[in-house]
Amino acid sequence: MSVAWVGSQVVSLSDAIQHAAKLLASSHCPVISFDADVHGTRSVIALAEKLGAAYDHIRGRDLVNEITLFTSYGGMFTTPGEVRRRADLVVLVGDIPAEHHDLILSWASAPADLAAKDARRWFHLKANRPAPDNTGMNSLSRKVKAVALSAEGASLGSAVALLRAELADRPTVTSLTNLDKLKKALAEAAFPVFVFSGNTDEPMSLAMLQGLVADLNKAKRASSLFLPTDDAAWGAVLTCVWATGFPPRTGFPNGAPVYDPRRWDIERMLREKEADLHLWISARDSASPARRGGIPFIALVRTISPVPGAAVTIAVARPGVDHDSVTYSSRIGTFRAERASAPSDQPEVADIVRELAEALPC
Amino acid sequence: MLIRLKGGEIIDPVNDARGGASARRDLWIENGFIIEAPEGRRADRTYDASGCIVMAGAIDIHSHIGGGNVNTARLLLPEHHSAHLPRPADTPLANAGWSTFTTGCLYAQMGFTTVVEPAMSPYSALHTHLELADIPIIDKATLTILGNDDFLLSLIRDGKSADMVDDYVAWTLAATNSLGVKVINAGAAAAFKENVRSFSFDDIVPAYGVSSRQIVKTLQSSVNRLGVPHPLHVHANNLGLAGSADTASVTIDATEGMPLHLAHLQFYGYGTEGKRKFSSEAARLAEQVNSNPDVTIDVGQVMFGQTVTISSDVTRQFLAIGNASPKKTIIIDGDGNGGGIVPYRYKENYYGSLQWAVGLELFLLINDPWRVFFTTDHPNGAPFTAYPDLFELLMSREARDRQVAELNAAALELTTLPSISREYTLEEIAIMTRAAPAKLLGLKDRGHLGPGAIADIAVYRRGRDIAAMFREAALVFKDGDLVVENGKVVNFRWGRALRLRPEPDKTMVRRMQAYHEERYGLSLDWFTFPDSALRRDEPFAEVPCNR
Ligand SMILES: [Zn+2]
Repeated sequence: MSVAWVGSQVVSLSDAIQHAAKLLASSHCPVISFDADVHGTRSVIALAEKLGAAYDHIRGRDLVNEITLFTSYGGMFTTPGEVRRRADLVVLVGDIPAEHHDLILSWASAPADLAAKDARRWFHLKANRPAPDNTGMNSLSRKVKAVALSAEGASLGSAVALLRAELADRPTVTSLTNLDKLKKALAEAAFPVFVFSGNTDEPMSLAMLQGLVADLNKAKRASSLFLPTDDAAWGAVLTCVWATGFPPRTGFPNGAPVYDPRRWDIERMLREKEADLHLWISARDSASPARRGGIPFIALVRTISPVPGAAVTIAVARPGVDHDSVTYSSRIGTFRAERASAPSDQPEVADIVRELAEALPC
Repeated sequence: MLIRLKGGEIIDPVNDARGGASARRDLWIENGFIIEAPEGRRADRTYDASGCIVMAGAIDIHSHIGGGNVNTARLLLPEHHSAHLPRPADTPLANAGWSTFTTGCLYAQMGFTTVVEPAMSPYSALHTHLELADIPIIDKATLTILGNDDFLLSLIRDGKSADMVDDYVAWTLAATNSLGVKVINAGAAAAFKENVRSFSFDDIVPAYGVSSRQIVKTLQSSVNRLGVPHPLHVHANNLGLAGSADTASVTIDATEGMPLHLAHLQFYGYGTEGKRKFSSEAARLAEQVNSNPDVTIDVGQVMFGQTVTISSDVTRQFLAIGNASPKKTIIIDGDGNGGGIVPYRYKENYYGSLQWAVGLELFLLINDPWRVFFTTDHPNGAPFTAYPDLFELLMSREARDRQVAELNAAALELTTLPSISREYTLEEIAIMTRAAPAKLLGLKDRGHLGPGAIADIAVYRRGRDIAAMFREAALVFKDGDLVVENGKVVNFRWGRALRLRPEPDKTMVRRMQAYHEERYGLSLDWFTFPDSALRRDEPFAEVPCNR
């Protein structure tokens, strides 16, 4: 089976790497979009440093909000294990991505063995607007018998703000449904937890939620559980943070890492033609970048055929399937070593990118 | 390769070399080890060390260099990295080892070759070791946190046997690949989840009916029985509070004939005297340490400037939120300890001046350099990049007097510091930062320059500016590789993480499997990892237990 192409021409893997390295070396401003496991991410950072390139995660736009919560605000957090074992009140906040629904359902069927009482109460704070249930959140909410909290015409952000004001007994123009039930449950709960993910439309709602949790902690205990929009992407963020000191949207203009979420927005750089070569790396799927103004690109993706328009295509392995992998998992709230479920000799991102870096003239 | 390090002044307390003209001799290195001077052989490489002092590579026993909480702090404070980079000399954090990469480089430049990350939560062991594996040049090690975890507290509550506790501790050490056990505000993090906000040595965790003292004593004995070379590493209750000296004092008294290490004692050196009810009790604590041979301490010196406090003492960090500067914090209720990140600026005001003085009093009033260890509790008291300045303060009364003149006089009046004339000798520095840490951690292969030791060597050019001398080593060797020359890193090799490898008891492994499946709904392999997960050729090196 072929794994490497220059244009639409089948070549050997090493020829493809040599060719890609040449393109990268002759580029003035290469940029990298990536989606890889921890070791893939480490190799991407090393390559970017060597090239003086900028990088972002393929899901960088979704990550901005979640990263900003930590870089600008902070908050109070707990772990999935503590929610399962201790939380006697769970408030689901907005839409939680489908990849986390099994986790949430698993709490419903497990005893909170560290809580004083066995029964766990559930609420769902949500936007009140006719929107398609893309994530299956309504169905999840029904399964755990969550009491709905919402207010006429209020977005999620407004609902969070409203809840915070009402819990602090500040005057509000409107009121949340079932607020009394929540107040009573909060009064009886020993360890309530608010479960949330990034809310791309309303960045301030994440900080507002943390404000609410901080208010509750003045007299009692409460915490929040952060379930990233995308576990693998969050793992890449954490890896970038230790390797460079910064979350992604980082560049190496003068050798040292520079973090700047606006300047190194890869989409923007391509659109405004600041970049002249795009390296696209996805160990997840075969999706390729939207072509921007004819800027050439190199694709390292999961594919069985050359990516249309790519100067070089290299087919990569799938972490945790083709090869052992380390990824972030919200099941445990940290990194996990995962054995390959169907080991193959498909080349993995970390190795290809390392060879690419080694093939650069330096 | 045979290497000759020529004509340096050897300071190697373990082998009776005390510096000065009489200690000037060559040091020979082959295959990564220090060897006897070979007869009739010529060196492949010779390095001139004349005018220099030669010590073993330094060992830092307590520095928060990697893992979940450290990384969360990086995420919270990207500005600490970028904003200061262009002006390295200005503030301590300017050059702080903020990424894994800079951490290894900056430590090596100062002649440090082994650093212990003292607060690894068991479930983030993989994360911690991934980070440590990305720290270049130096060797690393970790201490695993126990003492707020449900499993241990349940064993104590249920009166389970010492054997079972030992099996659990040994399993944890093995599963997390660590070098020892740390307990952090024993019981307080568990109690905090029940909204208990102040917690002392004889207070009880409500859900378990177990006291902090019981937890500490249980772990201290277990570590001792298991032959873990490093005594239980204790972060006591009430850190940072006025009156915490009493807590430190009862904790020291609780050694009861068995070794115990008390971390960052400076943060417990406070009494309640004076107008502000915040005074120094350092002299009393130092006296208590002097008269109790079972206790060792590290200082956790405060130095002035911006830093960030990173601690698994979630109770304490929650209470400190109001002091955050800048105003953003992270508090984590974790599976065991959790922790908190609170950025902080040590100012030269009453409180900062007092804390600074308390640390120095402890250094200078504890007589035995084998039992007082050199730390700033990086980054809690100061970033480790402040070490060279701290060496100068210890070695020069004049340097202390200069600084004292600029500090809060009312605070210093409540300390003994201005009256202390002691100056550390280079030999004492070598004991405190080389020989003693190796002994405390059970690392027989380092901390000295005798034949057979690994060739971790720091060479400093003698000069009148003590801080400058320690900031940029003239030469540093790690396992015989030259890694630093004239204060610049010249070789980015990879070090290893030192670990004990106790054989886990099979019954305990089965218990752990059942516990994780029942309590977390996940098989045990979600919480453990093979060495290969780190993708380094030899990520670990083994250290034997005492028996
Ligand atoms: Zn510490």
